[in-house]
Amino acid sequence: MSKRAGNNRLREAAAGYGFMSPAILILGCFLLLPILYAIFLSVHKVNLLGEVSYKFTGTANFERMIDDQRLWIALRNTARYALIVVPSQTILALVLASILNMKIRFRNFFRVAYYLPTVTSSAVLVLIFMWIYNTNGLLNFLLEKVGLPTYNWLGDPSVALAGIMIMNIWSTAPLFMVIYLAALQDIPQSQYEAAEIDGAGVWQKFWRITVPQLKPVTFYVVVMGIIGTFQLFDQSYIFSAGSGGPNNATLTMVLLIYQYAFKNLDMGYASALAFMLAVVIMLITVIQRFFFREEKLN
Amino acid sequence: MSRKWIAGTALLLSSAMALSACGSNSNSNEGASSPAASPSASSSAASSASAPAETTEITFAGWSSSPEEQALLQQVLDEFQAKNPTIKVKYEVIADQYMDVIKTRLIGGEAPDVFYLDAFEAPGLMEKNVLEPLDGYVTDDFDLGDFETPMLDAFKSTDGKTYGFPKDTSTLALFYNKKMFADAGIANPPTTWDELQAVAEKLTQKSGSKVSVYGLGQAPELARQMFMIQAFGGKLADDQGQAAFATPEGLKGLQLVIDQHLVAKTAGQPSDVGAGWGGEMFGQGKAAMVIEGNWAIPYLQTNFKDLDFATAEVPTVNGKKGTMAFTVGYVMNKESKHKEAAWKLISYLTGKEGMKTWTSKGFALPTRKSVSAELGYDKDPLRGALVAGGSYATTWQAGSTLPTIMNNFNNQFIAAYTGQSKLEDAMKSAQDTANNEIKAAQ
Repeated sequence: MSKRAGNNRLREAAAGYGFMSPAILILGCFLLLPILYAIFLSVHKVNLLGEVSYKFTGTANFERMIDDQRLWIALRNTARYALIVVPSQTILALVLASILNMKIRFRNFFRVAYYLPTVTSSAVLVLIFMWIYNTNGLLNFLLEKVGLPTYNWLGDPSVALAGIMIMNIWSTAPLFMVIYLAALQDIPQSQYEAAEIDGAGVWQKFWRITVPQLKPVTFYVVVMGIIGTFQLFDQSYIFSAGSGGPNNATLTMVLLIYQYAFKNLDMGYASALAFMLAVVIMLITVIQRFFFREEKLN
Repeated sequence: MSRKWIAGTALLLSSAMALSACGSNSNSNEGASSPAASPSASSSAASSASAPAETTEITFAGWSSSPEEQALLQQVLDEFQAKNPTIKVKYEVIADQYMDVIKTRLIGGEAPDVFYLDAFEAPGLMEKNVLEPLDGYVTDDFDLGDFETPMLDAFKSTDGKTYGFPKDTSTLALFYNKKMFADAGIANPPTTWDELQAVAEKLTQKSGSKVSVYGLGQAPELARQMFMIQAFGGKLADDQGQAAFATPEGLKGLQLVIDQHLVAKTAGQPSDVGAGWGGEMFGQGKAAMVIEGNWAIPYLQTNFKDLDFATAEVPTVNGKKGTMAFTVGYVMNKESKHKEAAWKLISYLTGKEGMKTWTSKGFALPTRKSVSAELGYDKDPLRGALVAGGSYATTWQAGSTLPTIMNNFNNQFIAAYTGQSKLEDAMKSAQDTANNEIKAAQ
């Protein structure tokens, strides 16, 4: 009896793994192996150009980070970027979704129109925005019209990152808007009706019903937002032609990793940085989960 | 060099050009089916006599700054293939981030047989031992002595081996708008830096509080300002390749650049007026003077046909003449499978005949004295000043650590240039960061 059950279980497991093998193989080759290889690289000094050599250096690459001023600039830029972009895009997405969830005219048109920036390739967006940000461009023209100061958006280190922030909030918010929109439609109408009978106003309904009901989705949106902002690369790459300038103002973590990996060909240090970035993102996610769980208990 | 910026800003355009270039050179070998017709084919005939009509395909890569220039290079390549029917050249344009692409391909063993190499990146690659030393291939016919020595030295390693030959060169000269000069009542271009500042004052035009025309367009980056570091006795790097520019002598020249922008407000960078680079700024009439190289001449002539401009030597700083010299060479991949054919291509492109065609239209200046004399660029009204600069120019090169130094210098110099930090602090920080990085990478 027990032997037959064991055999059965074995056969079942074999069948299960058999079915999973394509996925395991692909994930293993393209996900697991590269991760392991990156960890391997991060404890070596690697020379690829010319004579290929791997020299084990232990934690030297990680110690090097402490003195690397550009790393701290990149981390600061990335953190500042995430702190501003994630809340802004989350709130904007929620507001847009709430508006589009109401019974307004041309609702479908607006849904499509708002979603368009997300579908557009980010490289194209950046090039268009660089025109808008040009000293004689549209944005400065409008600012001047309403009497606000104009900036050299592309060349002035103090506003260059803000330029990328505006662009990214504008282009990422619609993606999260769609997610919110789907979640909004899952909130039972009866709760709103009950609240109305209790005499709740529009704001009260929004704060007491919509926002709490959306909490799991908000968690997802914030986590994805933070991961996305920490991985910012293409916009600042095109914006600064790969340099992270002016004055390191648009230098992000991933751009720094790219520069070390492909400009300086220092794969060991670049892998160590990538590993560090992964740890940072994981830590932030864990902290967030803890934070959101606690809220749920209340 | 400025060519890369143009390629960068016209990313889409140039990738389209790259595609069309791949399509257009496939049939270029057909018209060349009469062997032994040319003198240089006779040398190849000796080696391939037993097995004729066997064609070798070699790959060749570079960047491109304009469709016209690319067409001209294709013409030179076609002439080469006509003379060497057994060699087929596959020409490829790398549109953006040229060095990243080349280095990555060298690692992957997919690099082209022959490719462009900017002098400032050359020490890094020569050190890595990925280029083929060319000394063994050189014959008397090639006439090494004909090259301008500083340009040739740019591709010599520290142990004296030559890894490449310069395809062309340019120095920087002062470009000035003749009409603006006449309107401001200025007869002659400035010859000293004091004069330059005085003239710029007169040429700067303001609309309200905003400057609409700057007297001088500046490029706040190391490639253009290295000679300013040297003007008062400073130096960029020491013998060990460590950055050493943040000295009082080094800062003096740079301070002139910054003060003219921040204090006198008679100079600005291209992005201050919405332009991409100095040539564009000058062409659009947003700067009365710029310090640019030969590449700006064909650009201005094609894009701003009504612009009336002239050139002069860069004004003297501290009583000394100074400018920058840029050069790009052809180098051979050490892993190349067709080294003989690759050498034939390099020797043709940098030989008297190929260089003459390549530089005949004035997109670039020749590095061979004989070609220079034949084309007469020293007497050319626009290019004379550029040629004259060659004798005292600082070559844009400083050992294998230059890319790191440049990156940090440019980043911090902009901070000083926009008034975010004091020049002294910015340069000190740039020097320390660069030296930290250099030390960590060793």
